[in-house]
Amino acid sequence: MGAGALGAIRSVTAAPLLARGAVGRTWRMMLLAILTLSSIGPMLLLAVWSVSGAWFFPALKPRTVTLAAWRSAVSDHALISALGTSAVLAIGTAILACVVAVPFGQQLARLAGWRRYVGAAAAFLPVAAPPLALGTGLQVAALAAGLGGTVLGVLLAHLVPAVGYLSLLFLGTFTLLDARPAEAARTLGASQWQVWWRVTLPQLRQPIAEAVAIGFLVSWTQFALTLVVGAGAVRTIPLEVYAYVQAGEDRMAAVGALLLILPPVLALASLRWAALRTAVLPA
Amino acid sequence: MKSDHGALAPNDERLVVEGLTVPFGAGPGLTDVDLAVAAGTRLAVVGPSGVGKTTLLRAIAGLAPITAGRVVVAGRDVTALRPEQRDVVYLHQTPVLFEHLSVGENVAFPLRIRRTPDDVVPARVSAALEAVRLGGLERRAPHALSGGQRHRVALARAIAASPAVLLLDEPLSALDPELRDEVRAAIVAAQEESGAAMALVTHDLDDAGMLADDVAVLLDGRIAQRTTPRDLFEHPASAAVARLLGVYQMLAGSVRADGAVECALGIVAVKTPLRSGAAIVAFRAEALRVAHGEESACMAQAHVVAVRQRPHGATLVLQLESAPQAPPLEVPLAPFATAMPNGRVGVVLDPRGARVFPA
Repeated sequence: MGAGALGAIRSVTAAPLLARGAVGRTWRMMLLAILTLSSIGPMLLLAVWSVSGAWFFPALKPRTVTLAAWRSAVSDHALISALGTSAVLAIGTAILACVVAVPFGQQLARLAGWRRYVGAAAAFLPVAAPPLALGTGLQVAALAAGLGGTVLGVLLAHLVPAVGYLSLLFLGTFTLLDARPAEAARTLGASQWQVWWRVTLPQLRQPIAEAVAIGFLVSWTQFALTLVVGAGAVRTIPLEVYAYVQAGEDRMAAVGALLLILPPVLALASLRWAALRTAVLPA
Repeated sequence: MKSDHGALAPNDERLVVEGLTVPFGAGPGLTDVDLAVAAGTRLAVVGPSGVGKTTLLRAIAGLAPITAGRVVVAGRDVTALRPEQRDVVYLHQTPVLFEHLSVGENVAFPLRIRRTPDDVVPARVSAALEAVRLGGLERRAPHALSGGQRHRVALARAIAASPAVLLLDEPLSALDPELRDEVRAAIVAAQEESGAAMALVTHDLDDAGMLADDVAVLLDGRIAQRTTPRDLFEHPASAAVARLLGVYQMLAGSVRADGAVECALGIVAVKTPLRSGAAIVAFRAEALRVAHGEESACMAQAHVVAVRQRPHGATLVLQLESAPQAPPLEVPLAPFATAMPNGRVGVVLDPRGARVFPA
């Protein structure tokens, strides 16, 4: 009787728990499915679109498959040169924004009270401001400096939100950074400069890798700033895609959009790889 | 090097701290602290938590700002110098290793900083690791070390730096008891190998007694006493120091006009320079015993409150009948005692173990 009664009690108490766990799991799987579908779905659609021949409603799939769009993309000077411009801008933005944001974040982290708040707000403003508004302001400055419509002008414009983002990132990094290795190094005879190169920078390897990826993406996905400050003369991939969409060249737009998506996917993959490779776990 | 008075010729003193004042927390901080540590000796700084022991070490190392005083290392005033210019190595409470470097490169760090020739480095690294009994672990990654090994690597790195002064902040507090011996030995090795003057902070008087030539007691932001461990344990300078030692029991008493000392246990046959008035009589448990039918000037009746079983032997907890408000006394039972006293007993204080402090 004992075992039966116990079993009954156990099943009564366990049942709701089990059910709750199962419902939770189902709910989480559904969320994951929605998230995956909504992010991968459009990309798949783009991929299909970029190789489709004639494809008219109500056909569920294209009648013919062709690489024409890809072929013309490779031979199309505009798209290739836009790819180059985008890459130059994104790599330049990533590196320069890091170089500026690391000391910015470090100094912000040393501030306390309202000064720290003002500093963080100043870094966050260009991130929060709509790019179109920011671009309009920056265009005036760029024109005054004679940089309107130049790659350099656009690069400087991209740096504004990128430096803002990364300064906030490094503010957090430096606030949480363990100060003791630097102290230990100092009392072992290392100058501030030696501490920076030999101790602090290696501590920052992971956040810097992340910052480079974010800085790259801020520039790579920028549309409004490029359009306004570049005055249409600086052509990047987002601008080309927009032009193809407006011209009704859906297949070329799909090719351009896929090129646009490629770096973020690579960046995610490389961050994951870097995290696995460089993770230094404290004992 | 050991001295019973802690006084050494001034030219031996590797670290001298004079009038050091360091603000911290809400209280007054450290005020007017004087300290000296001779070359090749170890000083333990003890005190209650929050008294500023760590702050004192950090101020000496140049890691905490001071408002007054000076720090002299090997005859050189370093008060205005940066931490890296002081020739003082500071070891954090939990060992801080450079996680991106191997054990060997951690130990080599101070050598690389000073651009020591590459052909000399490996020998010095392995010598330093041998000194803390970690020879051959050069290629190990820090995160693959045990807690005790991390301590020893930090000590080996300090040996490689061969500083004039070595400061250790609570080096044993985070360790399991079985690791303490291992790290204690490494601390002694590090000090002897480097020949440095060592100051270590601890709240554990066992560690202070085992490791240090001298002990300085930090109370209320000042050095309350500076002496050898033995002298400290036997002759605390004040009731506050005796209380910190944790092994003294105390009774309120008085010094009579004729100089005799009285407390709830009776007349205590001790000489005191104190003038007549209220006093505190302090004594260690070993100075008390249960009376066996004898008569003594310093004896009182008490009833047994409890028997405590302790690793070092059983003790009786007694309440004096003449002083029901006084704290209960703890009296060791004779070794190998078979009969546990109960009810009423007489308790006797050996005056040689009694100390008298102003109230």
